[in-house]
Amino acid sequence: MTPPEGARPGERPSPPERDEGLQPERTALAWQRTVLGVVVGALLLAASGLRAGNGAVVWAAGVVAVLTLVPSVLRPPDGRLPSHGRLYAWSFLVRVVGLVLALAVVGAAWALSQAFGGP
Amino acid sequence: MAGEDAEPGDNRRPRSVYGVGTEPDARFSLANERTALAWVRTGVGLVAGGVALTSFSTFADLPGLVDLVAAVACLVGASCATYALVSWRRNERALRRREPLPAPGGLPVLVVGVVLLAVLIAAYAVAAGLGAAASLP
Repeated sequence: MTPPEGARPGERPSPPERDEGLQPERTALAWQRTVLGVVVGALLLAASGLRAGNGAVVWAAGVVAVLTLVPSVLRPPDGRLPSHGRLYAWSFLVRVVGLVLALAVVGAAWALSQAFGGP
Repeated sequence: MAGEDAEPGDNRRPRSVYGVGTEPDARFSLANERTALAWVRTGVGLVAGGVALTSFSTFADLPGLVDLVAAVACLVGASCATYALVSWRRNERALRRREPLPAPGGLPVLVVGVVLLAVLIAAYAVAAGLGAAASLP
């Protein structure tokens, strides 16, 4: 998934091994499910905002959907162990969690504005 | 903190994780990653449920209590997603130091939260049903 920037000089990276437990594939699928879930959630929010005529909600949800989808299309998980044996999960996790938080904040703000007599 | 047993040339972030211990079996790290993703998905599910509830309440003109429940669901979902990061970091540290994995402390909280949400919605449904029955001729 990522370039072997941490590989030591002079060390030839061995070809990626296949894991008999298919762990990389399962992890790649878990990523796909998560991305799909975030996109579906964002589309649900966008559709509700559209129906209620709330343009800000539609825009926010659309931005979340695009920001979630684009990286996973540009660099899809390939289901192999990285040749250098080092995984880079943190930045991807932080990004997805940030997008979920954005979705949650927009949803909660909308719900609260409805609860307390907003438009 | 950082520096104890840190492998040379490993400049991955966060340093509080990759600065300690030694590289574990990649499969364990992948399992940890999937667990964090499962927590993220749980959070997404709660957020989507909250959004669905509030949009339904808008269209069906339900009272503000339903919107309040929806907002709580969204916020609990946000907490689940944040917990994914916290637990990933703790588990990865434990894996790198060859220590036993920490207990999943977020699980009881999540179960209590989901049960509370379910009871609130069920109570509302029963009250609305009784009210509708009482207003029948």
